[in-house]
Amino acid sequence: MSRNLRIVLVHPHHESDASQRACALHAGLLEAGYELVASLPADIHLPERIAQLQPDMIIVDAESDARDVLEHIVIATRDERRPIVMFTEDDKTSSMEAALEAGVSAYIVAGLKPERIKPVLNVALARFRKEEKLLLELADTKHKLAERKVVDRAKGLLMSRHGMTEEQAYQRLRTMAMNKKLKLADIAQRILDVEDLLG
Amino acid sequence: MQIEKQTVRIGFNPLTDCASVVMASVLGFDERHGIRIVLSKETSWAGVRDKLVTGELDAAQALYGMVYGTQLGIGSQCHDMAVLMNLNRNGQAITLSKRLMEAGAVDGPSLAALMRDERRQYVFAQTFPTGTHAMWLYYWLAAQGIDPLHGARAITVPPAQMVYNLAEGHMDGFCAGEPWGHRAVMDGIGVTVATSQQIWPDHPEKVLGASAAFVDAHPNTCRALIAAVLEAGRWIDASAENRRAMAEIIAGQAYVNTDKAAILPRILGRYDDGMGRQWQDSHPMCFHQDGAANYPYLSDGTWFMTQFRRWGLLKAHPDYERTARAVTRLQLYREAAEVAGVAVPAQSTRSSTLIDGRVWDGADPEHYATSFPIRLR
Repeated sequence: MSRNLRIVLVHPHHESDASQRACALHAGLLEAGYELVASLPADIHLPERIAQLQPDMIIVDAESDARDVLEHIVIATRDERRPIVMFTEDDKTSSMEAALEAGVSAYIVAGLKPERIKPVLNVALARFRKEEKLLLELADTKHKLAERKVVDRAKGLLMSRHGMTEEQAYQRLRTMAMNKKLKLADIAQRILDVEDLLG
Repeated sequence: MQIEKQTVRIGFNPLTDCASVVMASVLGFDERHGIRIVLSKETSWAGVRDKLVTGELDAAQALYGMVYGTQLGIGSQCHDMAVLMNLNRNGQAITLSKRLMEAGAVDGPSLAALMRDERRQYVFAQTFPTGTHAMWLYYWLAAQGIDPLHGARAITVPPAQMVYNLAEGHMDGFCAGEPWGHRAVMDGIGVTVATSQQIWPDHPEKVLGASAAFVDAHPNTCRALIAAVLEAGRWIDASAENRRAMAEIIAGQAYVNTDKAAILPRILGRYDDGMGRQWQDSHPMCFHQDGAANYPYLSDGTWFMTQFRRWGLLKAHPDYERTARAVTRLQLYREAAEVAGVAVPAQSTRSSTLIDGRVWDGADPEHYATSFPIRLR
């Protein structure tokens, strides 16, 4: 039913978090069986391409600077096709609002029934959430990795300076961290800072 | 007096005229009035509008016309909006490509002659369909006898992409806020053929906009906000030294994110058109003018509605006076001006003579809107 909607996705013309999110959204819509007529870069040719493609729905990152370009298209074509901005629809379901909060913005031809729009935005929402989770996990992993490196370097220092075994060095760090109520990585960093300072 | 909301989220776009909103926060004028401004750098005007409507932003630096466009439902559903104050006057510019200049277009009349003699599609960019830059561009082209909608192609391009697209030959000219006009001159890409103050000396430009619902629920917060921004504008306009300091700060990455050199000359009134002419401008961008620049004249707001009607953005005349009175929060402004010790003009309309010799004084907007020989019929 909703599958034959003509959807255009606008992606940033430079590398950014937003372009990653656009890629994820692209994949999500394809997986869900939606026909994407194009994924267009947000450049000067956008209005012409959209005029040629005549999509039913244009999906764009809410933080894209192409929003104003689309705004112009919306107003310039309002007599023929009357596209409207998503959140001006009367139908304010929680899923649409959630999609908008997640950073999805859609320009849609007026008269397109909300029940046809909803599933598309649900897919978009799910994709944004998944992508966001992945990005958070990635950041978390990077952080943990960095912390481990610091701890390892501090251990190495204790081992070479004080002739400790690795296990002893680790226990020393742990005791210091507990006594000072600091995280292991923080106490390790302090040891490295002091070493830097005193050379 | 209870401040309903102490922390206010204020949106701005990276342009020179975000200065008073930024400085109100940086210099702590907000705290003096019992509020804390949290600045939010935005990427589009459509985004600013939507965030004002959804409440994600409490207020924002906004294009004058956009507030009225939203009030009247142009491009979006109607939503009751509010103009709290005018942020600045002047300081926008129309830039033509170096290529066009070399072909002989060095001012309005020579551009019109070139477009008559060498027929092709000429493309001019502005920043938002109902925005001030669209209105300055259309007004200026029409004053040269060029129909902006049929004799040329008007497109919307984000300000930061203007110089690039001009250099690439994707367009022939643009109208945008500073620092982009001066940037094009600095980079040798374009020339300034008209400043916005040539089109309308001391024209209104950006406003402090909000949704009507926010203003109605938070009058004391809004009063404090207006007072804080008034003080910031007064500080900026107080001396060239202050303007220099302001340029230093807003050039930073968190704000306009550009060279100070792109901002500074024109806010000091030092113009270079890129064609060998330098001058000290008598109407550079200003943020206060003893309060004259900040007073939200009803006739200023009405003017944008007359131009929307002129260019077919409105299919029928709106109720000009009622709309302007509903949107413009004159009473709130007066009270805030009193708190900040800023003079308020006696009249809520003013008279201006624009580039084509026409006088706009706020009277008979219906007649004014339909009196232009070049308009959408």
